[in-house]
Amino acid sequence: MRLLALLILLLSIGAGVVVGALNADLVGYDLAFAQVQWPKGAALLVALVFGWLLGGLTAWLGTRLGHRRARRRARRAESGNGTSAGP
Amino acid sequence: MTALYVMALLVPVAFLSGWFGARRAVAHRSGMRVSEFSSDYFRGLNYLLNEEQDKAIEVFLRLAEYNRDTVETHLALGNLFRRRGEVDRAIRLHQHLVSRPGLTDAMKTVALLELGEDYMRAGLLDRAEALFSDLVAMDAHAPSALRHLVAIYQHERDWHKAIDHARRLEAMTGESEAPMIAQFYCELADRARQHGARAEAREHLQQAFQCQPDCVRAYMLTGRLHAEAGEHVEAAEAYEAAVAADVAFVPEILPPLLDSYARTGQMARAERFLRDILTRYHGISPVLALAHLYEQRDGERTAVEFLTSQLRQRPSVRGLMALIDATMDKVEGEARENFLILRDLTRKLLEGQAMYRCSRCGFGAKAHHWQCPSCKSWGTIRPIHGVANE
Repeated sequence: MRLLALLILLLSIGAGVVVGALNADLVGYDLAFAQVQWPKGAALLVALVFGWLLGGLTAWLGTRLGHRRARRRARRAESGNGTSAGP
Repeated sequence: MTALYVMALLVPVAFLSGWFGARRAVAHRSGMRVSEFSSDYFRGLNYLLNEEQDKAIEVFLRLAEYNRDTVETHLALGNLFRRRGEVDRAIRLHQHLVSRPGLTDAMKTVALLELGEDYMRAGLLDRAEALFSDLVAMDAHAPSALRHLVAIYQHERDWHKAIDHARRLEAMTGESEAPMIAQFYCELADRARQHGARAEAREHLQQAFQCQPDCVRAYMLTGRLHAEAGEHVEAAEAYEAAVAADVAFVPEILPPLLDSYARTGQMARAERFLRDILTRYHGISPVLALAHLYEQRDGERTAVEFLTSQLRQRPSVRGLMALIDATMDKVEGEARENFLILRDLTRKLLEGQAMYRCSRCGFGAKAHHWQCPSCKSWGTIRPIHGVANE
């Protein structure tokens, strides 16, 4: 399994290098506050990394908030039980 | 322009892959934590089951460090400390739990109950009594607290309070504590008898009979009261009633019963009674008593014949010793020397033997106790039936 993952990673890097070399011409971006010109391959890589990080951040935040909400609910239920069972 | 479209399409794909990756990583991490926690828990449990309490304490201490909110882990730890005899550590732990802010009332009362048990183990009975009384007043874990209070009053020999609390326990749980309460009344009666207050003793015995109509100890005390008052006919009747209530106590009842028969000259009745007992009781005591009776009435030869025939049916070291004693005078020379060696051997064999055993905890005793010194149960110590015992 690990070997397969390593192979795919190497292939991806190879493909990235080839695509980067074949698309070395610059692309212009107008970001409203600035105009930048990046090589096509680099722009593609930045877009992918940005999307990947954004997805990860969203999932992590969602899980963490969900856990916190569940813990708060459990604590409230426990204190409710405690007062009703107490003397 | 085409490159821009490709990029716009690839961004959501990257977003989704990042999202899935992060979800999987979070799930994996929390799973690892849960499995680490539960493996520690089961390891601790395993140590407990293997009676390796030192290692169990180590594991539970680490668990308590992981999660300071886990009251149950602290309670388990306190329990372990107490069982290992480290009562001061158990007390500190439970005191810390009780004083912890934010603890629910239910958990606080559990910790109080545990603290009371620690005090009991440490011998601080006054503190334990105060705690258990508070718990009963709060109606929290009242049955357990009442049971401990009854144990404390038994230890202090405060039988009136013990009876009062045992009755409350009975009312609360619906389970009968009558045999135990009857024993408490017997204790009161015995105390009154020792102080010469016969009327008070009889009153307590009446109460014991009300609790348990077939209370052997109450019958035996009644017999003793009558015998001390010189009423031997009534004493014999009471002792006979004791045997009828529980034939297992024959070795205890026979000596005073035979004494009462002898004082009233009812030896024919004694023989009838002993013959009847022989059919119902398979120990050696009635055989020895009957052999003694025959020896006095018909001579040594009849006694020896009876003893020999009975020993074939119920082999016993005590019976053998009685047979050796009875035939010792008839043998001389080397045979007599051999008989003396055999008698010493049987005596030494009997010296180290426990004659009674608690049917509940297995505690062995040489003398009879109404309350087991080990498990504190009442009326569970009975004669051991075997070749070297009864």
